[in-house]
Amino acid sequence: MTTTQEPLVVVREQGTRHIPGQPDMWVFVFFESLVFTAYFCVYLYSRTQHERAFLHGQSQLLAWLGVLDTVVLLTSSWTMARCVQHARAGRYAPARRDAFLTAGLGFVFLVLKIVEWVRLIHLGHTFTSSEFFQYYFFLTAIHCVHLLIGFVVLGVLVWKLSASQEIVETCATYWHTVDFFWVLIFALLYVVR
Amino acid sequence: MESRVNMRLFVVWLILVGITVAYLAIDRAANDHGLATASTAVTVAAICLALVKVRIIMREFMEVRTAPPVLRRLTDYWIVLMAAALLGVYLAGKAVA
Repeated sequence: MTTTQEPLVVVREQGTRHIPGQPDMWVFVFFESLVFTAYFCVYLYSRTQHERAFLHGQSQLLAWLGVLDTVVLLTSSWTMARCVQHARAGRYAPARRDAFLTAGLGFVFLVLKIVEWVRLIHLGHTFTSSEFFQYYFFLTAIHCVHLLIGFVVLGVLVWKLSASQEIVETCATYWHTVDFFWVLIFALLYVVR
Repeated sequence: MESRVNMRLFVVWLILVGITVAYLAIDRAANDHGLATASTAVTVAAICLALVKVRIIMREFMEVRTAPPVLRRLTDYWIVLMAAALLGVYLAGKAVA
């Protein structure tokens, strides 16, 4: 099994051009990027109009926790990329292990986010308490909805792991998209001044 | 072949984590005696670094690097579009504030 699959890996590494996964998923990626960019633009504009209030709200966040969230999700993207390569080479056991690792890291991210929400709510910051926190809770919650859909996508990946490499790549594309949305959200909520 | 490919993914992950941790330095630089202050330089740097990370994720993890030229170009155009929108709106907002 492995020996028959190896030439495929070599060919791909030498640069055979193929769109990763189903093209439809890329249409979704581009569409969602536009939607999120629109959210980000509205947030950035509001921020410039009420700079002091946004800075005050932002100072309630823990930057190191945002960094930890990001590192966890980046690591999940790494394990997902490994999963795709293992599956392509017909190494389904390590591919499955990496898929479960990805799901585990996604779960850790979710727990960290809930811990952060609970902490902020205990400090009196809610969806309606200030404009900054309205954006904060909206952007982090809409991202978490995408993450929850990601768990379903991972289930499909594990289910179809040995049946269709195209579906594996499609699911991976979705997961990485959730990752890079967070990379942008982290920069905009925690770092910009 | 397998170890080389996995090593590349590991190096990519290290670079992404390195940029993320560098944000903490930016975060400290933007504070004046513990108080956060507005800074166009920090905002522009944060947005640009985030988009660099997005491009790395697309190229390496999403395998755009080995995809057909149309997808490579489209993703690059998309990142430029996002950069123009985010920086444009931010700078326009600063101008009218």
